[in-house]
Amino acid sequence: MAIITISRGSYSKGKEVAEKVAERLGYGCLSREVILEASDRYHIPEIKMIKAIHNAPTILERFNHSKQVFMAYYQSAFTQRVQKDNVIYHGLAGHLLLNEVPHVVKVRIIADLNDRIQSEMKRENITEQKAHDAILKDDEERRKWTQSLYGRDPWDSALYDLVIHIHKFTVADAVDYICQAAALEQFATTRESQQKMDDLTLVCQVKTALMESYPEISVTCEYGNVLVYTKAEEHIAHKLETKAKTLGQKIDGINHIEVHSRVPIPPNAI
Amino acid sequence: MSIIIISSDSYPVGREIAMKTAKNLDYDFLGRESLAQIADNHTIEESKLIKAMDDGPSFLGMKKRVRNRCLAYIQEATLGALINANRVCQGLAAHLYVLGISHCLSVLVLADPEQILQQSASNKGISKKEAKKLIDRHNSFRRRWSMDAFDLDETDPSQYDLTISLSQIDADEAVKIISETITYRRFNPMTYSVKCLHDLELAARVRSALLESFPNVIVRANSGTLVVETAALKREKRKRAEAIKAVAGKIPGVEYVEVHVLNDIFRQAAESFR
Repeated sequence: MAIITISRGSYSKGKEVAEKVAERLGYGCLSREVILEASDRYHIPEIKMIKAIHNAPTILERFNHSKQVFMAYYQSAFTQRVQKDNVIYHGLAGHLLLNEVPHVVKVRIIADLNDRIQSEMKRENITEQKAHDAILKDDEERRKWTQSLYGRDPWDSALYDLVIHIHKFTVADAVDYICQAAALEQFATTRESQQKMDDLTLVCQVKTALMESYPEISVTCEYGNVLVYTKAEEHIAHKLETKAKTLGQKIDGINHIEVHSRVPIPPNAI
Repeated sequence: MSIIIISSDSYPVGREIAMKTAKNLDYDFLGRESLAQIADNHTIEESKLIKAMDDGPSFLGMKKRVRNRCLAYIQEATLGALINANRVCQGLAAHLYVLGISHCLSVLVLADPEQILQQSASNKGISKKEAKKLIDRHNSFRRRWSMDAFDLDETDPSQYDLTISLSQIDADEAVKIISETITYRRFNPMTYSVKCLHDLELAARVRSALLESFPNVIVRANSGTLVVETAALKREKRKRAEAIKAVAGKIPGVEYVEVHVLNDIFRQAAESFR
């Protein structure tokens, strides 16, 4: 059993693929539900949440950290939803967060630009040029967004286990490939891989709890031992530590929590 | 007569997968062994052909004109070999010029980055960090190479039908996926796709014959009819068209040649300053 993430551009038929894979494997299928859950849990208007996870942060937003806070909420809701396994996720922001978890099948669905333009024209009833511009703008926005959040290009094939081009292949072929990959032993959930997923969920929960007051933190976790990294001054780090210690009683699964200030942040920190 | 083209960010990994797939399907393997024959046919050194495939555009490296000729010879021979047999092709950059052929499956296999890093570090006796830098440089070089040689970005996943990463999927599993995929009905050759392949092969053959005398020709073929595009000074237009027709007309399979000569604005500008 595995988690499957499907990364897709607009009009790439990724949604259709995800729904059919979910149907065949009997998995849950997630996308917009995560936004609704995050906005509900953290009392953020849905529209703000959608904007935050769809558009790349502007220069101003990078300074006031508003989007990063929303993203932390989203990531926390997302990891808690997929933690229990047997789920397909085809929304934004998922696949890169789960990069280190072995039982995740990471798939990207791509389609020909011309096919995408035709779909956009039909749906929005607009000219070819307008459809072309809208799709390229959307792709660029997603590229910038992923770059700003994870420093990676979503078009980089190395981020995925499979990249399927819907052109010679049909949606049904893509479904076959994904189901075949999900059945591989390498993607089966093991105790170690589940532990990684649990640790990641904990990281996202801790980050969400601290992010509003201390937006510039990075968090790692191993077997429930949480490390919070900050570049802030000593007195702020001290306050952060006091707040972090209280989380031990609020969040299940924390064995130990420590704050490290002004030390190099590990590359896998969230 | 189905064709599988395998490309990889690591030559040995791509070769391993391609050879295993060929063996599994009982297809012929077409790899860099064919370069010796190509070199013989065109009385050129094999090392030059390899250099053209592996070296990027640089000021001190191989001249662009020579490199384009070498690549044209490889392209001509590869397309010729793909016409009449079930083949698995690897290491000849075929994914960049066998385009628009429906019975061709183009697969990009990405090697396990950790394994490549370790191999590179131990082979060269350098640290992992240095090896990572070298690999990144190599990847960005491959992108520049493909853009320069064929005006296509070979790192763009939309150039392929399928991309398989070997980070978690093992080589045998990848071979199985590729072998199963080629049996799909849509990869059976059809009259039209075979005709398209013949057109590509004819165009490559004519271009290869023309390149020595006319380095900037673009050739398109459609059922024996050729359209050749080139640039020349106004006063040379007629002579150039005739010379091209004379060479191209002798090539087997060519029925009619149309030459479009555009104004060579750079030479014209250079002459006006004399």
